[in-house]
Amino acid sequence: MTSLNQDQIKALEQSRQRLVQLTHSLSSLITSLNTSDPLPSWSSLQSQATIISNNLVTVSEHLTDQQDLFGSLVAYPGPDYPSRTQGPALEQLLRTKLDPRVEDWVSRGRTAGQKSQSQARALIRGQELSAGDLTELWEWAPVEANQEARGRNWGGNFTLEEKEAGIENVVTGLRRELEDEDESEEEEEEEEDQMDIVGARRKTSGGGLEFDIAARQPAEVAAAGPVMPLDDVLRFMTTGLPPKQR
Amino acid sequence: MHELLLFASVPLHQHHELRQQLAGLTAMQPRHRLERRLIFKAYRKPGVITTRVGASQDVQGVDLQRLNKMLNGGMYYTQVVGPVLHENFAAAGVTRGEGDDPDAAMSGIHESQKDSLSHSTYDYESQSWKLEFRDIPEAGTRSAVTARLMASAGLPKGDIVEPMNAWGYGFVTEYVVEGDIFILNDIVIFLHRVLRYPSESSDPHAPRGQLPSFEQMKPLDKSGSYVLQAAITVQDGGNQETMRTASQHLFGLREQLRSAVRLEQADRLSLDTRAK
Repeated sequence: MTSLNQDQIKALEQSRQRLVQLTHSLSSLITSLNTSDPLPSWSSLQSQATIISNNLVTVSEHLTDQQDLFGSLVAYPGPDYPSRTQGPALEQLLRTKLDPRVEDWVSRGRTAGQKSQSQARALIRGQELSAGDLTELWEWAPVEANQEARGRNWGGNFTLEEKEAGIENVVTGLRRELEDEDESEEEEEEEEDQMDIVGARRKTSGGGLEFDIAARQPAEVAAAGPVMPLDDVLRFMTTGLPPKQR
Repeated sequence: MHELLLFASVPLHQHHELRQQLAGLTAMQPRHRLERRLIFKAYRKPGVITTRVGASQDVQGVDLQRLNKMLNGGMYYTQVVGPVLHENFAAAGVTRGEGDDPDAAMSGIHESQKDSLSHSTYDYESQSWKLEFRDIPEAGTRSAVTARLMASAGLPKGDIVEPMNAWGYGFVTEYVVEGDIFILNDIVIFLHRVLRYPSESSDPHAPRGQLPSFEQMKPLDKSGSYVLQAAITVQDGGNQETMRTASQHLFGLREQLRSAVRLEQADRLSLDTRAK
């Protein structure tokens, strides 16, 4: 049985500090939830959540790093420990099993972790498309999307389904009244329809071309690497100094 | 004159969209712009410095250092800018049907490797030039815009190296800037990128007398990204009021474009024109 050396004590002390930080940020979130009315803005909630998750990450990193040490440590009371007055704390320290409540959390966390892991694996397996498949997809998608889009009658404020269900019931979230133009502009629209068809046809050739470019571009960009930092471009423009090769 | 600037980097895939957005915002068609830019660097004329005399005593050393500093202090990189047209570039195998669409130019790169310099309509002797001097941006970051002293002057046409040499400037390098200009009130918006000449052609110590085909020009940034520059020119840089109004206008533009690009102050040292 050896006593702890300086590094080990430092590791313990560090974990204490990190846990203190975590409890602080948790309790500050709880207080802000309890006291502020109306609830704090989403941005502040989000920043607090970020802080907490960062704290959690540091704690968990630290625990993983020092796993060997913490797994082999045993706590025991020294002779001068005030066990009479600090009984409950001593009992907590001497527990060899987790608190039932905590055990519950741990097992829940484990199953959740396993589930998400297996899901992720399944997703990866499902998503592995070969380059050929991807090209095929890219070639198929624009045409198909275009056809789908042309199959629909665009314009107007409501979808056909909504009209059938009665437009009074649609929750638009808007204060102004939306008109159902169809009824008043029936005749006009007929003319427009015809023109639309011509326009759409002309667009398809152009649109198809555009889609081809769009499908090709990402690959090119990926091959060309990241965007050059602005500073490098400006420096070249002022002094002709070629940017550093990275 | 002073110039107030904001910059943003625009990735290639966003370029087309941003061009449309800017055209909408400024309610004008983009004015396509092609410029040859020659960079000149001031050099110390031989004989100006009367080197160290006799023993190098400490006092003299300090004096000499100061003298050196003064002489070097006034030395700057400066640019000579000449507008060119697409037609000035050597005729390529591919006709540019899409007009000024840069994407079309990009896709044409591979198809036209054949050398056709002889078909160029470019006449170096009648190329007009403009000298553009830019100081290093002002230090201090109180206002979040890049502010710098600027001056421009017309230059004689044709071969510019000789007069520049006479003024104590040596040719460093050259490139082509390609882009679109938009005007919004007092703001000049220039969405551009740098194109470099194909490396194999001609003497690197003098500006080219012929232009290669446009398709052979390679963007400096291989990913093809663009630079967005918003600039306001202020006649009297000493007038705090106008300077402030100008930066307010730039901030207004930055707010308007916030969802599309982030206009920012440039790193001062990247715009350092002092020659060391």
